[in-house]
Amino acid sequence: MSSKNGSTAETPHESGDDENETGATLSSIHPEVQRTDVSEEDYEPWLFQTMLNELSERELGVGFIYAILELFAERHKLTDVAVVLVNDTFGTQMFRLGGESVTPEMAAHLSASPGVYCEPDNVPSAECDAVRTACQLAMSLHLARFSAAHDPLTNIANRRSFDEALEVAAARSARYGWAFTLVLVDLNNFKAVNDRSGHEYGNHLLRQFGFALRQAVRQGDVAARIGGDEFAVILSNAEGHESSGFTERLRGHLVTLGNPVEFTIGTSTSPRDSTDPGELLRLADGRLYEKKGIRIS
Amino acid sequence: MMSRTEEDFELELRSLPGVLNVGITKHPNGDVDVVTLVANSKDPAATRSAASQIASLYYPEAAVVIEDANRAMADNNRREGPRVALIRADYDTSDGFCEVQLSVDGRTGIGRAGSGPLIGGAEATLAALRDLGYDVPYSLMTVTNVTNGRDWPVIVTLRSLANDADRFGIARSEDDLVSAVKATLDSLNRFLSTLEGRI
Repeated sequence: MSSKNGSTAETPHESGDDENETGATLSSIHPEVQRTDVSEEDYEPWLFQTMLNELSERELGVGFIYAILELFAERHKLTDVAVVLVNDTFGTQMFRLGGESVTPEMAAHLSASPGVYCEPDNVPSAECDAVRTACQLAMSLHLARFSAAHDPLTNIANRRSFDEALEVAAARSARYGWAFTLVLVDLNNFKAVNDRSGHEYGNHLLRQFGFALRQAVRQGDVAARIGGDEFAVILSNAEGHESSGFTERLRGHLVTLGNPVEFTIGTSTSPRDSTDPGELLRLADGRLYEKKGIRIS
Repeated sequence: MMSRTEEDFELELRSLPGVLNVGITKHPNGDVDVVTLVANSKDPAATRSAASQIASLYYPEAAVVIEDANRAMADNNRREGPRVALIRADYDTSDGFCEVQLSVDGRTGIGRAGSGPLIGGAEATLAALRDLGYDVPYSLMTVTNVTNGRDWPVIVTLRSLANDADRFGIARSEDDLVSAVKATLDSLNRFLSTLEGRI
């Protein structure tokens, strides 16, 4: 027998239809549960339509996975459903209907086999596989998008997304006169710390510093790591003198964390200083080095 | 619909080493009450600390609970008995018969069946298991050689004789015969380990 994707099949007994090939039951998860890893039919119109709808509203991500599980449960009148994804990048990940948590025992059984687990177990396996593939795609895209915009060590914005944010802030400032302050932060003698205590400890301090930065900024501000030990912050709706509040908060959080790192800042304000992103960076950089007592040409 | 912030919050938690699942419990007013992480981290204390830090940034009022899956996973592994292993699988092109030899715990069993390397391989595997002393309450329903564009795995479907759920196994090996044998074992291996006491 030949199928549309060129597969061949031998059927020793009467062939079962799709209704016979079902996903595993979530509540009856048992060590013997086995899930197949290949779909014979990847296309599900409802799933495709949902993806298109989602893409028209926003990008695929973790939220899409829950939306799919919700629709899938409604469609098949499921009381519970979970999807187990496995990937080299994000390892094993489990999602359950409504953002419910799985128990450790359930996690132990589910982690053995990726797939979709339904309650009751009445869904064709091809549709389960299609759901899993869509969820896998959403998770991968979300992770890729997050990784492209964030610094992996500190989880704050990276240089690229900071540059984009600065462009947007400067353009708005030029057009509407909205003020913002750019703060460049440089850690003092960080190279010496790295040399003396090792890179692992240095990374630990950087992670803590990134965390303290995230605590110190307000909603709407942008904190970024723009170099090895260089950070930048865009303080929205803030004139230059308002950066002192941010600096105090940052110092306070570092003290709470027991982080001994000291830092120097340089600031520039838009539109007062300039509305050109490059110029704002140059001015803040110059002021930072001035404070450090370093003359730059 | 989840907000972008909620999505990134969950992704950050899921990016922590060993985190398998994130559950979020909300208050009726929409505030996040409890964040539950299930993790099999090597360093649960570090995971707890990092998760608490992340949660404090997004939802300072939320309680963070870490459920350790390590013990459950260890228990799960302990429950599994010895696995059945393939010793050899031969296909005789002159009569179309397959012969499969399996072993478990030092014992061996041999099974023979006709109908080519796919059906023959799966049927001979079931026969070899019965030769080993297993009561296998399943019959072969389908053996499928699938191409998915990357490789050529074989999928075996077994129908329960006791009205239980069907079982599926998948394997990809050097040829159809060995793939069919391994797919049959894949569908039954953990099931067989639970029957050890009955032999």
